[in-house]
Amino acid sequence: MNSTGKEKKEKTATGKILSVEGDLRKTIKGLLKKLLKNNTLDAVLVPMKAPETESYAWVLLEDETLLDAADPLPPVMTVQGGRALDSITKQGDVYLKIGALMRPCEIRAAVELYKLNQVKLEHIHLISIDCPGALPLKEYMDNPIKSKENFEKIVQKGDKNEALRPVCQICQHFSLLSSPSTEETKASSSPDTENHSAADLHIGFFGGNGKKLCLTASTSKGKDLLEKLELSQDDSLEYWKAAGEKIRQSALKNRESFNKEWQEKIGGIENFTTALDACINCHNCMRVCPVCYCQQCYFDSKILENSPETYLQRAQERGSLRFPLDTLLFHLGRMSHMVLSCVSCGACEDACPMSVPVSQIFSMVGDQTQKSFQYVPGTDRNVPLPLQSFLKDEFCEVEIPCECDQSLLGKA
Amino acid sequence: MSSDFKPNIVGFLCNWCSYAGADLAGSSKMEVKPYLSVIRVMCSSRINSNLVLTALLWGADGVLIAGCHPGDCHYEQGNYYARRRFALLKKIMETLKLEPDRLQLSWVSASEGKRYAEVVNKFSDEITKMGPNPIHKNPKI
Repeated sequence: MNSTGKEKKEKTATGKILSVEGDLRKTIKGLLKKLLKNNTLDAVLVPMKAPETESYAWVLLEDETLLDAADPLPPVMTVQGGRALDSITKQGDVYLKIGALMRPCEIRAAVELYKLNQVKLEHIHLISIDCPGALPLKEYMDNPIKSKENFEKIVQKGDKNEALRPVCQICQHFSLLSSPSTEETKASSSPDTENHSAADLHIGFFGGNGKKLCLTASTSKGKDLLEKLELSQDDSLEYWKAAGEKIRQSALKNRESFNKEWQEKIGGIENFTTALDACINCHNCMRVCPVCYCQQCYFDSKILENSPETYLQRAQERGSLRFPLDTLLFHLGRMSHMVLSCVSCGACEDACPMSVPVSQIFSMVGDQTQKSFQYVPGTDRNVPLPLQSFLKDEFCEVEIPCECDQSLLGKA
Repeated sequence: MSSDFKPNIVGFLCNWCSYAGADLAGSSKMEVKPYLSVIRVMCSSRINSNLVLTALLWGADGVLIAGCHPGDCHYEQGNYYARRRFALLKKIMETLKLEPDRLQLSWVSASEGKRYAEVVNKFSDEITKMGPNPIHKNPKI
């Protein structure tokens, strides 16, 4: 079964195979249990369904017997995992080894937060899992039982169907086994291969037909976990990669048409304001956003509060003044602050009480801007944030040269 | 569009280069169009996208950011960061088709009074040609 050496990156060439015994979720939980039992991990952070209701939350568990109630594949994303991790380590590193089992977008958010110094990852083991997507929170809450049935079908088939949230249908980072290559995204990456991928360990099941799991480690921490799991069966990753790649290619196609559609739909001031019409300025999107980390948001501050005269003057100049005030400023301002780190997790749209398509707007703009900065958020830990770094010779096209010094800027 | 449109342009000038350049243009009695309201900042990297957006949404027809030439920043690297932020904001405006041409970034050193006059005059002409910022009459903002 062992077939190393075929791939350039030997590290990711093979994975460990595990047969699913009975239930997929149970097998995954079994892995975590083992890691807790043999003290490789001191605690795990996992999603869990509330016992009496249909809602989900994150639970930090030290007792492996409580893991039975956990759900590694929740149908919805109530709280972004990056946020949960942020709450744990904001005040400093933990000295217990915590394994966080999260969706790839949650892991990517955690990595962005790590770069922003909001999450400490030294003792955190990031374990990602093939993500079937998530259902829109509102639709799920309207009919949890039926939604769950639908979701199970999606898990079994692994296709990104229309029941999922729009940003999940275009997601290309649902599996570490088949994420876009750096050549494809033209993204920069650090020479240090250790931290190339966001997660330490990845659990893949797309392609296993519900019978097999494939585990790969991409860091030394991940390798340590894999070793302690004592899985004996090796397998080449090619088959698993191909299975994910098939899903990814169709998502990529969706992404292209999605971008085009949304650019048309919201392009121009009239269309853009129409798309944001329903916004009630509650700032929920900002509060649930994993990468909106500021302790004091500019848009919550007193800085935008003005005297009545100012408002009257503005109303006079414009002819009218709309309240809630400055919704456009809020969205554009927030966008210009965080969109390069946006991982398209969709938490903002789930939280919007007015069903403004925030995540779709941000995802479209995020995709375009990230491409122009050749940046893929939440992948390589060693690639600095675009706004915290620069090259001396770049973006010359945004500077306006002047006739008097054409010779000076001849290169532009 | 009426020909008597007088644009309202906000100019963020860095203290060490562009503001001094503007000063030089003035003391050299160069003709500079009077539509630019100058705000002096210590460095072009002081400019947060919110400042630019607030200007654009609250009444400006255009925003000019001017700082030291790359490599000449008083704080060594400020203008490089400023350029990245500006590039991001411009890309966002471009993606959303929100008239990105109303934003401009230029480098003007303390000795470039002539360049300052040219940059301001050219930008003023462009904005005049574009007409009033449609954002200001949009009742939904």
